Amino acid sequence: MSWYRSKLERDLKRWQAAGWVTADGAGAIRKDLDQTKSAFAAAPVLAVLGAVLFGFAVMSFVAAHWTGMSKLARLALLIATLWACYGGAAVLFQRQLAAFAHAAVLGGIAVYGASIMLIAQMYHMEGNPADAVLLWALGALLAAVLVSSPAALAASFVLLSVWGAWERMGSESALYSFLVPWTGAALTAAWLRWRPGLHLAALTLVLWIVPLGFLVWGHHAHWLVVLIGGAVAAVAAVCGSAIDRHFQLSAALFSYGLAVTYAGLFILQFLDDGRWLLGSSDSAPVLRLLLLAILALVLLLGAMVWALNSDNRPALWLAYTAFALEIFTLYVRTFGSLLNTSLFFLVAALIVSALAWLAYRLHRSKTAPEAAT
Amino acid sequence: MTLLAPRTARALALLALIQTGVLAVMVFDRTRLLTSGREITLPIIPVDPRDLFRGEYVELGYAVGRVPARLLEGAPPSPNAPFYVTLEKAQDGTWTPAKLTRDKPQEAGPDRIVLKGRSRFGRLALNAGDADAVHSVRYGIEQYFVPQGEGPRLEALARDKKLAALIAVDGSGNAAIKGILIDGRLQYEEPLL
Repeated sequence: MSWYRSKLERDLKRWQAAGWVTADGAGAIRKDLDQTKSAFAAAPVLAVLGAVLFGFAVMSFVAAHWTGMSKLARLALLIATLWACYGGAAVLFQRQLAAFAHAAVLGGIAVYGASIMLIAQMYHMEGNPADAVLLWALGALLAAVLVSSPAALAASFVLLSVWGAWERMGSESALYSFLVPWTGAALTAAWLRWRPGLHLAALTLVLWIVPLGFLVWGHHAHWLVVLIGGAVAAVAAVCGSAIDRHFQLSAALFSYGLAVTYAGLFILQFLDDGRWLLGSSDSAPVLRLLLLAILALVLLLGAMVWALNSDNRPALWLAYTAFALEIFTLYVRTFGSLLNTSLFFLVAALIVSALAWLAYRLHRSKTAPEAAT
Repeated sequence: MTLLAPRTARALALLALIQTGVLAVMVFDRTRLLTSGREITLPIIPVDPRDLFRGEYVELGYAVGRVPARLLEGAPPSPNAPFYVTLEKAQDGTWTPAKLTRDKPQEAGPDRIVLKGRSRFGRLALNAGDADAVHSVRYGIEQYFVPQGEGPRLEALARDKKLAALIAVDGSGNAAIKGILIDGRLQYEEPLL
């Protein structure tokens, strides 16, 4: 029995007991489920397996004969494979097998990328390898736009991230030009009304923002990352209902803002020496760490309270995880100077207790009027 | 649904056409460089002289790959960005680096040629201030894939001989290996297609 079926069985019994669903209704629901189950039948699964095996056969054949082929034969083979993928996709779309058609489009994108790499190798083009990844990512984005393909869009987000990271590693610059193709991909996700695509857009942007502090303004600008994340989270918290009237986005925005803020704070505390805070770095690094840690913990606790009140589960789990990471890293970092460790935990305990008391008071003042009536 | 199908087919055809076009431009650019680029001959510094053509591909070294830091003119190039090395032909026909610039210089005449290069380590030498500092530059002609079946012949010919690469250079400074010379004679030429 599938996971959904067993959950539905449980729920149906409960709903029937509560009188919301009649016995006939429950039977009809079960019957409907039995009918829709046939959509996931053996034939398409076997067809995909067959296609994969066929692909492997072709690949091994090509690999065995590749070096013996002339350049022209190789080029013809690459382009023929590319067209076969998209031609196959067209046929599958016509037969209304959309899932397989999108798989074929994804296969075409893979062949396109492989062709770029193989042509570069055939003609000994060294250049900048990151450029090839960008060319591939743009090809995937084009496929996403032309064929309305979510899978192609996901591929283009992944490839854009690879390109961005690679190019940044080499050029040691912020790579603001990343935002141009990223905006195109994000708009495509919005246009396709594909929610996971918007999450991918946010995730790739987070991956672009977090290392920004290492790359701009003297390589210690992590407070900039904290400010960006904080601003996003604050806007999502304050203008949440206004945003949600147009798109249901504020909860997710809050979570991404929180992730960026904490990532920036983590870098400030543990990866960078945070010299911006107290001027020259010789003045009490412990005090600096302590101040930053208190700031991080207060912000995380605030985020937890907010997430609890706004019923934002992802943000709550994110805040829990960050809190645990913060405490663990602090413990590892201050290990050895026991006095500092104990002092820190004393301060942390006091803050958490104070906030717990505050939360309790808030909770009581909110429920008290209801109890009085 | 059947209404959608022809439109999707057209979109897919357009997608295949554009991607094929990108690949075609890559190949066309390269063949144009090989056929119409200006030719220069650069001696190869053998990295491992015994088994040069034994493997799948060899790493070729060139004297012009070592550019003295004092040849830098103007602002230094950004990390990972290409820059330009102007080569000058001496009386005996050998090319040596004359200057290194961030932007492509206007050079004319048979004794000068501009090559686009990148630093081997992403950025230029850290000790660039030293008088004898040297930048390690790649021009995109350092990897040579040994043509199928030609390895043993080239290997036998190359033993204890002077090796050189025939390089094609286009107007933008892009360079490509066109052929291999052994003792001054062209022994292998790269096929275009």
